[in-house]
Amino acid sequence: MSAARTLSMRDALYEAPGPKTRHRVRIGTAVSAVVVLLAIAAVIRQFWVTGQLAPRYWSLFLQWTTWRFLGQGLLGTVAVALTAGAIALVLGLTLMLGRTSGVRPLAALCRVVTDFFRGVPSLLLIYFFFFVPAQLGLKMPSFWMLALPVALAASGVLAEVFRAGVNAVPKGQVEAALSIGLSRAQTMRRVVLPQAVRYVIPSLIAQLVVVVKDTTVAYVVSFPDLMQNARVLITSYDALVSMYLVIAVIYILINYAINKASVYVAHRTGVKIIR
Amino acid sequence: MTDLSVAEKDAGTAPVIELRHVDKHFGDLHVLRDVCLSVGRGEVVVVIGPSGSGKSTMCRTINRLETIDSGEILIEGQPLPQEGRELTRMRAELGMVFQQFNLFAHMSILDNVTLGPREVLGQSKEEAEKYAMELLERVGVAEQAHKVPAQLSGGQQQRAAIARSLAMRPKAMLFDEPTSALDPEMINEVLDVMVELARGGMTMIVVTHEMGFARRVADRVVFMADGQIVEEGSPDDFFDHPRSQRARDFLDSIGGH
Ligand SMILES: Nc1ncnc2c1ncn2[C@@H]1O[C@H](COP(=O)(O)OP(=O)(O)O)[C@@H](O)[C@H]1O
Ligand SMILES: [Mg+2]
Repeated sequence: MSAARTLSMRDALYEAPGPKTRHRVRIGTAVSAVVVLLAIAAVIRQFWVTGQLAPRYWSLFLQWTTWRFLGQGLLGTVAVALTAGAIALVLGLTLMLGRTSGVRPLAALCRVVTDFFRGVPSLLLIYFFFFVPAQLGLKMPSFWMLALPVALAASGVLAEVFRAGVNAVPKGQVEAALSIGLSRAQTMRRVVLPQAVRYVIPSLIAQLVVVVKDTTVAYVVSFPDLMQNARVLITSYDALVSMYLVIAVIYILINYAINKASVYVAHRTGVKIIR
Repeated sequence: MTDLSVAEKDAGTAPVIELRHVDKHFGDLHVLRDVCLSVGRGEVVVVIGPSGSGKSTMCRTINRLETIDSGEILIEGQPLPQEGRELTRMRAELGMVFQQFNLFAHMSILDNVTLGPREVLGQSKEEAEKYAMELLERVGVAEQAHKVPAQLSGGQQQRAAIARSLAMRPKAMLFDEPTSALDPEMINEVLDVMVELARGGMTMIVVTHEMGFARRVADRVVFMADGQIVEEGSPDDFFDHPRSQRARDFLDSIGGH
């Protein structure tokens, strides 16, 4: 049984390729590489034809101030995303614990809240935080007008992610914990959650990426994030395509970094049995 | 080896475990029918019977992993608590060993064994680890103390699971088919640990079809079928002269006598 345990999902789903398959994979790789290169060439040619590669669209990237302004935006994006991500993790976990608590009214409440945040588009929540507190005479910094709704939207998804993780922990683990005298709460904290979290690390990463992407509607509340600052530069330099290309690359790099960081964290926490 | 003996506490003359007229249903299925069983201090009772006859369920009701519909379960003369701290304390005093070992998959073997003593008994890390290492030594997996369960063989895992239960210094141990998930060559290493426990005076209920084990250490064999205790007796009596037809059929089917 330990052999089956250590078999990773990838091994289970895909057989190691034989010589014929390897040959076909090589041909496939070559063909797709050529196709991708042709596509890129076509795009660049089109940009050239339409004049998008003209120096006036790109010279702003030679200026230090452009990068400083984008850097400030990047810091804003990182700050909002980390704050929202942290709140969402705590809130998502709390909602899941409430929902699985076995206390009927609490469970029902948490379920409704979870489904609500999961179902409502985050942009709608952002509009809510933009308009409603102001109507009530509350002054809310734009940072929170962005971070809170993004966090709430993610918390609904994370509650479900955590619940799936908890359900994936074999029942025998719980029974063993109870049988040595742990309480329900101790069982959850020491046995179930640590395993559940390891099961769902890939989904947590995916959700953090969604959080980063959700923050890009910061312009609604005029919070100076990367996207908002890029838009300012676009208007002042009239450099739409070049700017969007550059920040797209930056967003991809951020999310790539998130992936790398989480894999690193996962390794550090010693995920030996679950890959 | 008397080291494995239970910390003898004077609890009068009441049986350590007693089931009185226990009934249980799973929906329409009547899984325990008027089950009466009494296990005295230091007694080893082997429970045997066809699959689905309610052996696991009976074991699990004793530490309330399953609730019962009617009847009574007494531990040292006291009714089994239904909830809260009294229940967790009672569970801590009854060791349970599962067919699938159920070691905590994310923890080292050592942490598996010290979790209960630290969380439930409030022992310090040093105290808990010292005793845990002693126990792991006795069951023969001390070398594996810092590995995670998946790195151990089935037999090693089950012996570690026994150590985990023993770390709570239980009054009695429940074994639910502890060797059924093991490759044949690993069965004896686990049974040896159990024999030693029995000889050390541990009160035990063991669901198993290992007749050799039953003959060697059981004080009594209980035969269950369809949720009922059909007959009980000394191992030699039961295996050599089963009284009921059901027991005879069952023993034939597992290649008995
Ligand atoms: N959680 C459960 N829900 C419904 N039926 C169950 C459950 N657990 C066991 N059963 C049924 O109860 C009967 C007795 O099961 P069990 O105690 O596991 O038998 P044994 O251990 O003797 O094989 C079986 O018919 C089984 O299918
Ligand atoms: Mg069973």
